[in-house]
Amino acid sequence: MTLLMIHSISPLLIVAFGIVLSLLLIAWRRSQKLILAFTLTIFVCAMLASISLMMNLTDAMQVTILMKVDNYGNFAFILILAASLAVGLLSTAWLTHSVEVHDEFFILLQLVVLGAGILVMSDHFASLFLGFELLSIALVGMVGYSRDSQYSVESSFKYLILSATASSFMLLGIAFIYSQSGSLSFATDLLSSNEVSPVISLFHHAGVLLFLIGVAFKLSLAPFHFWTPDVYQGAPTSVTLLLATVSKVAMFVVLMKFWFSQPSLFIQPIVSNGNTLSTFNFMSIFAILSMLVGNTLALKQQNIKRLLAYSSIAHMGYLLIVLMVLSPQSVVLAWQSALFYLSAYVLATVSLFMVLQLTQNNSCNTELNVDDWQGLFWQKRSLAMLVIVAVLSLAGIPLTMGFIGKFYLLNVAFYAQQWWLIAALIIGSGIALVYYLGIIFALFNTSSIDQHNGNYRPLKLKPLVNASVVTLVAFGVALGLYPELLSQIFINF
Amino acid sequence: MSITLVMSSLFFGGALAWYIEGVKAQSARWIALLTVIIVGFYFVISITTAGLDFSSLQTLVRLSWISSFNIEYALAVDYLSLVLVLLTLFLAVICVLVSWQEIQTKTGFYYFNLLAAIAGIIGVFTAVDMFLFFFFWEVMLLPMTALIAIWGHENRHFAAIKFFIFTQVSSLLMLVAIIAMATIHFQQRGQVSFFYQDWLTLNLPLSTSLYLMLGFFIAFAVKLPSVPVHSWLPDAHTQAPTAGSVLLAGVLLKTGAYGLIRFVLHLFPQASMEFAPIAATLGVVSILYGAKMAFAQQDFKRLVAYSSISHMGFVMLALFSFNAIAYQGAVLTLVAHGLSSAALFALAGMVYSRIHSRDLGHMGGFWQTAPRMGGFALAFAAAAFGLPGLANFVAEFFSLVGAYQRFPLLTILAAFGLVGSAIYGMVLFQSAFQGKEANRGESSKVDDLSKRELLVFSSLLALLILIGFYPNIVLMFFQDTGQTLVLTNTAGGQ
Repeated sequence: MTLLMIHSISPLLIVAFGIVLSLLLIAWRRSQKLILAFTLTIFVCAMLASISLMMNLTDAMQVTILMKVDNYGNFAFILILAASLAVGLLSTAWLTHSVEVHDEFFILLQLVVLGAGILVMSDHFASLFLGFELLSIALVGMVGYSRDSQYSVESSFKYLILSATASSFMLLGIAFIYSQSGSLSFATDLLSSNEVSPVISLFHHAGVLLFLIGVAFKLSLAPFHFWTPDVYQGAPTSVTLLLATVSKVAMFVVLMKFWFSQPSLFIQPIVSNGNTLSTFNFMSIFAILSMLVGNTLALKQQNIKRLLAYSSIAHMGYLLIVLMVLSPQSVVLAWQSALFYLSAYVLATVSLFMVLQLTQNNSCNTELNVDDWQGLFWQKRSLAMLVIVAVLSLAGIPLTMGFIGKFYLLNVAFYAQQWWLIAALIIGSGIALVYYLGIIFALFNTSSIDQHNGNYRPLKLKPLVNASVVTLVAFGVALGLYPELLSQIFINF
Repeated sequence: MSITLVMSSLFFGGALAWYIEGVKAQSARWIALLTVIIVGFYFVISITTAGLDFSSLQTLVRLSWISSFNIEYALAVDYLSLVLVLLTLFLAVICVLVSWQEIQTKTGFYYFNLLAAIAGIIGVFTAVDMFLFFFFWEVMLLPMTALIAIWGHENRHFAAIKFFIFTQVSSLLMLVAIIAMATIHFQQRGQVSFFYQDWLTLNLPLSTSLYLMLGFFIAFAVKLPSVPVHSWLPDAHTQAPTAGSVLLAGVLLKTGAYGLIRFVLHLFPQASMEFAPIAATLGVVSILYGAKMAFAQQDFKRLVAYSSISHMGFVMLALFSFNAIAYQGAVLTLVAHGLSSAALFALAGMVYSRIHSRDLGHMGGFWQTAPRMGGFALAFAAAAFGLPGLANFVAEFFSLVGAYQRFPLLTILAAFGLVGSAIYGMVLFQSAFQGKEANRGESSKVDDLSKRELLVFSSLLALLILIGFYPNIVLMFFQDTGQTLVLTNTAGGQ
């Protein structure tokens, strides 16, 4: 372990060290403000370290056999940290409601970030599993955190059992893969190392498939999506944000790392002779199913969190398109597309959950429906603009980042000539418009204001909150109008 | 001359109107009117002094926008875009004038949306980078949808969502085709390009270009609209506020026709030749179906909406018959229909503001108290069914004469559409203005036109008559382009 290696995993070390310090801090003084400030400082420090690393790192850096630090992972970690900062800030608004001191919540948050960080840097099944479990177990605690809510036990149990199932599938898959390749490292490629006999490749296939099923549970791809809406609804809003952004980004990035390190997976459709049920095809089936099922089930949802849960299923389906690469040359474009799309998705999700949390605080109601946002545009314009930009971005309409993301995806799909995926993407986006536009129209609806003007409380935002809302809107539109700001970063990777 | 300035001043004029309305009520409409008029004058003056030959595309701006995909901010105009932009700006004034009294709630935001939609439409007519074109194509949708969804009638959300989904899904097909073209450019020239003039030089195999052309064609056929993808139009028109309908019928439908001319016919000459019989048949079906459906409507605006489908069928038929005369007829139809349907929708809005109903059954006998309105209504209905002396007659006559040389049977069928239009035109006029007064309760007296409404109608009618008697005022720009279009297409077909 050289100094250079330590330098390149410094963001992770900062978070890990931060967790230990936070524990000591709690032993010294229990104060929610203090621990919040400390957590945010750790995240900011890790982010700065990642940014400086990203600027200095020219080539991928292997840190022991467990981890490989490259700029894709680095950027993903920055995205994760940004989302976690938002989670931290939003959860204070919610945690101050009760008298307890919630310092353990922040420890769990840091553990989740550490797990996600290990995931995006991992290059080995052992580190992958470590990160995966760290992420899941800490999340289980957070999902059930608000003990007095009626759904908390249900949703945290659901999450616990299903992620345990997912990880057992995954372990079995890893064992199968190990039995064939003799190595736990991602980079071992069966095709290049030795001649594969049909029997061996069957076991290997089964292993890969089981592994992918484990990942699919976490990414809530159809048909492994059933936990998503319940857990999203039952978890506290800021934890839902964590589930929707951090856990998805980390899992997706590690999936890409695994996938692209095994050219046999995606080159196979050309190589394989008559073997139509390849892993590649399984992934396209997952993608198409997720797009259609997610969007269709979202149509009738009234609860905003459930709606976003279903729409996130669809978005993960869209994202799977980047895995459909036929030649090693397109891998770079695939990475750029994935990172851009993930950034757009994270920005939009953070924006929506921010508005959700703020309006929840105002109405003292944790089960917000789309109707509860009625007339928001005429009451609090900045919040409504934030919702509009975020929703348009999720729907992929120009002026927003989401459109550029979709443009990237269509480019990848076109290069790979995946016509079915393109068709599913178009149909899915068409269906999605119904509920996305429904949200926007609700914002403009005026009929509700007259109805309950008696118990209606005007929404007041602190200047700082208002400023951050305006910044998020500006970010969304600026990156949508001028995506170069972001895509130029990827080009240098 | 700067189209960018035109678009941005419309946009910021709208934003200013929105802001000012908060400071002083009733001022937004004045700001909007002033903005549109000033921008219109600026545009006219700058094209007359530009000293460029607009018979071919003249690139005005070309700036790098998204360099990783070699996407540019490129605008260019030729006579086709100029005429359509002029039509847009003229109808923008009409739109502001017809909304003068109608819009009473959220006025500032309304005018912002109106002007933003107009800015987006102008962008569509002038963009020559295909990504930019797509960008404007989508951006003009947002304020238009807002106009329908916020200030529309009882069923507005459904209509707005339907309108949006139809256009969005079809335009995603176009986006795929655009990406495909850029990739083909990459394969042939070694560089990705979205620039329209670059695409014109590409060599496309017929089989590929048929698929790509379909991608574009479907998007434009939805906008035009053509049977079988027309069903958004009656709903959107019926539910939109008056200015929304005027804008939809007057210029938004023309973006579909513009796209057919500029992109489908020019980029894929061979493929469109192959596809022409199907397209022409769709056009004729639209003509007849639109006329039949218009006749069956009880709702004033729905009737005019179906008549739009019928008229746009002539454009489709004429464009796909690859004939100079038919081409001129098609362009003239765009202008003439833009004016006449705008007038009819404005009329519908004025009737609605008086009796609060669009149902023809609630109308009748308006002539007694509102003779001037009746006179204008008769003139506009006559324009819609193609009375000689009005612009539509020349336009449809040219279209049919040109199309006959290629599709005789289809053209004969299409000519029946003219009979149909006379029938529904008279139904419209008679049931609203003649006959017995329907029982409308306390407010049976219908006021005649106010000065503002008189101004709207007389300017529209004057233009219709002017073009009707002297069609060269529009056609003189298109004689050369018509020829070249025919030449490229016949050359491609051989």
